[in-house]
Amino acid sequence: MAIATPARRISFREEVENLLHAEEGVSLIRCIQCATCSAACPAVEFMDHTPRELIALINAGMKDEVMASNTFWTCASCYACSEKCPEGIRPADVMYALTRYSLWKDTFNRDWVAPEFSRRFTRTILRTGKSYEPGYAPAFIFEGGFPGVVREMRMAVRLLGKGRLPLLPSRIKRIRNLRAMVARVLPLDGIQ
Amino acid sequence: MSERKRVLIVDDDPDFAAGIRAILDAQYDTAVMHNPEDGWDALQKDHYDLLCLDIMMGRGAEGVMMARKIRKDNVLREMPVLIITGLREQIAFLFPGQAVHPGFVPVDELMEKPVEPELLLQKAAALIAASEARKSR
Amino acid sequence: MTRYAYYPGCSLETMAATYHVSSMEVAHKLGVELEELEDWNCCGATAYSKVDELLATVLCARNLAIAEKQGLDIVAPCNACYKNLWTTNAAMKRDADLAEHMNYALEADDLRYDGRVEVSHIMHAFVTEEALELVRRKAGERIKGLRVAPYYGCQIVRPRRPGVELAQVESPTYFEALLEAAGAVAVAYPYKLRCCGAALMVTNRRAAVQMLRDLLQSAVDAGAEVIATACPLCQTNLECYQSEVNRAYGTNYTMPILYFTQLLGLALGVGVKRLGIGKELVSAEAVVNRPCVPAAASAPGGA
Repeated sequence: MAIATPARRISFREEVENLLHAEEGVSLIRCIQCATCSAACPAVEFMDHTPRELIALINAGMKDEVMASNTFWTCASCYACSEKCPEGIRPADVMYALTRYSLWKDTFNRDWVAPEFSRRFTRTILRTGKSYEPGYAPAFIFEGGFPGVVREMRMAVRLLGKGRLPLLPSRIKRIRNLRAMVARVLPLDGIQ
Repeated sequence: MSERKRVLIVDDDPDFAAGIRAILDAQYDTAVMHNPEDGWDALQKDHYDLLCLDIMMGRGAEGVMMARKIRKDNVLREMPVLIITGLREQIAFLFPGQAVHPGFVPVDELMEKPVEPELLLQKAAALIAASEARKSR
Repeated sequence: MTRYAYYPGCSLETMAATYHVSSMEVAHKLGVELEELEDWNCCGATAYSKVDELLATVLCARNLAIAEKQGLDIVAPCNACYKNLWTTNAAMKRDADLAEHMNYALEADDLRYDGRVEVSHIMHAFVTEEALELVRRKAGERIKGLRVAPYYGCQIVRPRRPGVELAQVESPTYFEALLEAAGAVAVAYPYKLRCCGAALMVTNRRAAVQMLRDLLQSAVDAGAEVIATACPLCQTNLECYQSEVNRAYGTNYTMPILYFTQLLGLALGVGVKRLGIGKELVSAEAVVNRPCVPAAASAPGGA
């Protein structure tokens, strides 16, 4: 016998809203499809679904299409959408929640640069406490083919000449403590 | 016949939660919540004999946050908590080959997804029984 | 003298070291003391929130706790660092459960955060009434009449920080006020708050290049001689990848991109070299060697 629980299975919209339980935006059901978010989005042309479309898909329960979308990985987190939404929805927060969910559910495309870059970035900070740009190069350097690699190398050499490219990673003193801190939040064996 | 024991399941994955519920429904009165906030509210409203708790929800490992909050609560600390987590797979892209570190998860027992129904029923029964034994002392 | 805990952020160590040195010079000229945050760690940028929001929060919580220990409010030169530190601060003040959990984690570094720190962008320290007045008094002729496009970027104003008036989110004016106090002409152009692409330069190059093209064209249309930025990622994108824009669109942009602190430093009489000018891939010579600039005598640090 069930108690205190809705009898029906929750919708995908509710599933997404559960991810956003700690955020301050209103329910996605409030979306009036005005497309202001899409109009404000500077990266919209490079998304397979516009922000407006994505929210419509979520509200329509089209989980597979949403989870396979590149929209949230193409988001630059500029918050123009959240700022402009007349209903109080925060699409930028939805994007973050979906990148996390797509990682947990393994629905993202492993050929994409964004997840791989995020992975390298995450691990770099846990290794030294600070970012180290050259460490991310393998994630994107081959995207432009061989000419792309040549261009990146050329720029790297020019920046190196100007003293603007870090050669060695920079490390914080209490990196061990940082890792111990992180392990308390994300309880994984290898982080400590 | 004694009253059925009550189990609360807190997991953001509706399919998995439904599966766990289906296993437990035969012997227990079950309730399902899909985020830690609703889960905490449910715990405040009703008594539960067991909590089955997911780790990765919402912002990140919110299950750990919730488990710690329960342990700090004078009333709820008596309730057995069983973590059922898919953390290993969920985090595999970022941290391949990493297991859950039990030291940082203040719960009675930890199981990894996927769950063997028989094993789940055994553990649930054992945890509830142990909790009863503690209370009657 | 106002004192702040200075949170440089990872890019200012090498990639955007010129922002660091010029910020230090300007702070010194304006009587602002910057004490670097002890053993600060990365703020997590945008990548961490994409991956785990609680980890993103704990990274920033550590920096806030260290600042609290130092007894100072934080200023950050980078838009993203500012946004992350500010929003983490707000979240921990608003959500007691989150704060409790973060403090549990911070114990591992003998730290604790009790919400006593305020976080600002470094530009905010330089646009107080007193600072602006000081700039007006001290500004020389070096950037007088220079047409500057003030590029705020996105995360310096968004997401909205409660307590900030709407006008300052929709159309802030403090950057313009600062430039004008320094004698420059702040040109109006519609994209001053539009994203530069940030990490998309790595993760979706085509998208970022298009966004940069739009920004550059907008500044050119407005007659800007230079774009002034308030963020190392904005500056790096606009400047280092300007050639990518030209290659992709067949354009011929040669727009100097400088940090607002470099321009401000010039106005306050700091030498070109001390401000790190000359390290750009797109030459800023046109800004530095303007015909209307009087003899080098006005630049005590040497040109």
